[in-house]
Amino acid sequence: MNLFSRSIRELHQMLVDHEISSVELTESVLGQIDAVGRQTHAYLAVTRDLALRQARDADDRIREGARVRPLTGIPIAIKDVLCVEDVPATAGSKILDGFIPPYNATVVERLAKEGAVFLGKTNCDEFAMGSSNENSGYRPVHNPWDLDRVPGGSSGGSAAAVASGEAIAALGSDTGGSIRQPAALTGTVGMKPTYGRVSRYGLIAFASSLDQVGPITRDVADCAILLQAIAGADARDSTSSPHPVPDYLDGLETGVHGMRIGVPKEYFVKGMEPAVEQAVRGALEVYQRLGATIEEVSLPHSDVALPAYYIIAPAEASSNLARYDGARYGVQAGGGHNVIEEYELTRQQGFGAEVKRRIMLGTYALSSGYYDAFYLKAQKVRTLIIEDFQRAFEKVDALLGATSPTVAFPLGAKTQDPVAMYLNDIITIPANLGNVCGISVPCGLADGLPIGLQIIAPGFREEVALRVARAFEAATDFNRARSALIGTAA
Amino acid sequence: MIATKYEVVVGLEVHAQIKTESKMFCSCSTDYLAAPPNANTCPVCLGLPGSLPVINRKAVEATIRTALALHCEIPEFSKFDRKNYFYPDLPKGYQISQYDLPFSRNGYLEFEVRGEAGRCGITRVHLEEDTGKLLHAGAIEQAQSSLINLNRAGVPLMEIVSEPDLRTADEAREYVMRLRAILQYIGVNDGNMESGQLRCDANVSLRPVGAREFGTKVEVKNMNSFRAIHRAIEYEVVRQTEVLDGGGRLKQETRGWNDARGLTVSQRSKEFAEDYRYFPEPDLPPLAVSRAWVEKIRSALPELPAARRDRLVSQFGLSAYDASVLTSSKPLAEYFEEMVRLGAPAKTAANWILGDFSRFLNAEHKEIQDSAIKPQHLQQLIGLVDSGAISGKMAKQTFEEMYHAADPGPALEAARRTQQISGDTELEGIVDQVIAQNEKSANDFRAGKQQALMFLIGQAMKLSRGRANPERLTALFREKIT
Amino acid sequence: MPENEPELSSDEVRHVARLARLGITPEEVTRFRDQLRNILHAIEALNRADTSRVPATAHPLQERNVMRDDIRAPSLSVEAALRNAPSVEDGYFKVKAIQE
Repeated sequence: MNLFSRSIRELHQMLVDHEISSVELTESVLGQIDAVGRQTHAYLAVTRDLALRQARDADDRIREGARVRPLTGIPIAIKDVLCVEDVPATAGSKILDGFIPPYNATVVERLAKEGAVFLGKTNCDEFAMGSSNENSGYRPVHNPWDLDRVPGGSSGGSAAAVASGEAIAALGSDTGGSIRQPAALTGTVGMKPTYGRVSRYGLIAFASSLDQVGPITRDVADCAILLQAIAGADARDSTSSPHPVPDYLDGLETGVHGMRIGVPKEYFVKGMEPAVEQAVRGALEVYQRLGATIEEVSLPHSDVALPAYYIIAPAEASSNLARYDGARYGVQAGGGHNVIEEYELTRQQGFGAEVKRRIMLGTYALSSGYYDAFYLKAQKVRTLIIEDFQRAFEKVDALLGATSPTVAFPLGAKTQDPVAMYLNDIITIPANLGNVCGISVPCGLADGLPIGLQIIAPGFREEVALRVARAFEAATDFNRARSALIGTAA
Repeated sequence: MIATKYEVVVGLEVHAQIKTESKMFCSCSTDYLAAPPNANTCPVCLGLPGSLPVINRKAVEATIRTALALHCEIPEFSKFDRKNYFYPDLPKGYQISQYDLPFSRNGYLEFEVRGEAGRCGITRVHLEEDTGKLLHAGAIEQAQSSLINLNRAGVPLMEIVSEPDLRTADEAREYVMRLRAILQYIGVNDGNMESGQLRCDANVSLRPVGAREFGTKVEVKNMNSFRAIHRAIEYEVVRQTEVLDGGGRLKQETRGWNDARGLTVSQRSKEFAEDYRYFPEPDLPPLAVSRAWVEKIRSALPELPAARRDRLVSQFGLSAYDASVLTSSKPLAEYFEEMVRLGAPAKTAANWILGDFSRFLNAEHKEIQDSAIKPQHLQQLIGLVDSGAISGKMAKQTFEEMYHAADPGPALEAARRTQQISGDTELEGIVDQVIAQNEKSANDFRAGKQQALMFLIGQAMKLSRGRANPERLTALFREKIT
Repeated sequence: MPENEPELSSDEVRHVARLARLGITPEEVTRFRDQLRNILHAIEALNRADTSRVPATAHPLQERNVMRDDIRAPSLSVEAALRNAPSVEDGYFKVKAIQE
């Protein structure tokens, strides 16, 4: 089996046993990027020199046996919404073409301290707005399972890279499902931590009260490892939580015997593909066999989560994206008669259609006369959704449902209708609004395309989500399926 | 002020920077005047993608301190909001400010105009971040490009909004002077208007006397001194009166004060009404302002100008007027008290400060702390006069030399050494000489003409080059001319 | 949520684009207007929720008073601060003038 298709834990063992070096491992992954990168377009920038330099440093550490951490020497891909010092960051947008951050995001610094290796910046929907990675200002990403299909979004590049062997693991960001949904569509594991669990400093902002950075990996244990490295309070992010970080690997194998698992009836949405529904119901049977009790629950405000999200997120985004005016960084249009005209031209040329739509929608929602009816109303609905989850978690330990109502769809299939595209996130959005955490794990294939199972746990109980996910993974072999691009199944 | 049938209504909006070490939402230095352009910037105040603000606690406390000094209510809950608009000096495309839940509201400031007490309500005191600075090549209307310096972007700024309770330009000026003094006293702002550390905008309107509704409000900006505030408001009142008297209607607009030309000029009205789209700042958790925290801040408040003024009257016997002027600025008050601490008699010290010293300072638009003459210098000078070592006239001369010197020491030392002649032997010699040279005057004095004595003393002073003690001279002349 | 309000108009689209300093062609005005109308229709569902008894959630977490000490830390070098700027003069960011 190729090095690039192994898990973090396996590779860590091989590194500390001196079976392989980090340089060897990194070269293996870089080789895979060379081999299939032009098919997936998972990366916007590959940082070969940086990666090899870090790999050599990691090898030194491992040789000395000092400060060797689980991620030391492990090649990771980083979504291009995260700032890596002296490495271009575009957030998938033309308007940031050429922008080179003079600083590291906190999560990047934490990984660097661990001795991880940075392979490059992955492609994503522009400013993380999208569910198919077709809104990238550069080029779409192609799903390693079927290159004519989307990988999901907005962390499509990160998910595709993990699925194709172009990275051992990756960081993505999730605002309305942007880690979980692409993980589902690419047969990988993806987690959205609770809002505030992971620092947002250095994450190019989309929706400030919803964005979270999270891991995309090949299995649940890897997900726990990567989460462990990045979680925890940060003085530079006032919205990061001081809630203590537990040991996520501790108790991972505990199983679900005696646990109560709730199934929100509202999550079997209209338009859900039969194969997806079947896979999810099959998963429920697995959990029952494992000793969990399954009960139907109701999250009655699920149907207004999507509308609330499509007010809150664009509203915050319209403000967060006001800084892109070409004066201090990024592209400047030129040709305006005065500075305001310059701003208008720069933003007209630099932003894609979806970003413009959301900026306008958000501006409208906040504008005089509409604030109460839109933004304020949506924030009140958010309270209702938070309460829905709180009530449900009084009765059950975790919630289960599909991650995405469909499997990966063909490129171009939904680009004409924004609302159709938005519906991809209908089951993931509630968790972003609800102060909870969620993880997607593979639970089957439909015509060779991966299906994702979503597990939601209470806020700051990521260890519960991981444990429930791991139990399913251990009891089934869906996790073993591999995309054609990564090679033979494990 | 023209007496009109209109009532003048003025409200003032004062922006005061807070004297913190670091900026409002990042740790960059606030010392923006000294630094080269864009040397005090970081990802946060540059508005780089991915950056996040973190609140400076000292700025919050300074705002609460100011609110307490202005007798405001301090609600238990407060938050920051985003004020969204586009301008080259605003890097994020929004300003982090406060909208509907500011740190404080409903206070007041007391002042006096020509002995009459007045009070102006304070609507609110809130906290926000300052913008960067723009440079234009030439006049703003003709410049091809703007140059942006973001050193000032993010400096903590308090906005102090008054109720429209002021009725004259005098009241407005007095309000700003008092507010400035208070801010100096509590250590949040040095009161420097020319540098932009303290800024004032006015809203001026007229209404028929007795009317309940307000007239059309005109905003006046660009007043960089107390004098400018006064002149601008007076001008605006005249202008608005003429429009209304002529049957015209006033435009609700913003006008800039042009100090050189002595008038307000309409600023280019935006064809497009800005809509700030305020919403709660999602990157900053709100603030719970506990009563315990407020009390801790209140107990650390220094003596405020009004209390200090009263104390100077009761403790040192100064007149209310003198005490008022002395406490009108913190440096002035501190200078006075330091002199007294060093041993200067209070009234003499006050007279010197409010007299010659102030005259020289005002002529140069300088502040007392800018002068090379420190409290100990002036106290020692006074000491020389009191001990009889030099005459009052000599002291005035010496003071002038001290004032204009880079180092007052030598002039003071020279005065110390030039002892006044009080010794009778030397004085007698002078008196005898003068009598001998001025027989006519001596005879006039003998005959009862007091003026002749004055003349003789004058001659003796001339002869002694001002060093003779006038009181001794008088006594000696009286003795010798009988 | 405005009920029984007329559809989003082209004027409103132009106004919103102006507020957001987003240049927009006449063709885009129409296209975005139609797309935004559809999105706003979908959002109308928000009215179904009874929010009369709940407060708004502006900040998901319960944290309060997150502040830092007033201590200076080194700034970026001027070079680093200006590095990404398209146009620079004498250490300043340079943009076109405000007025025409």
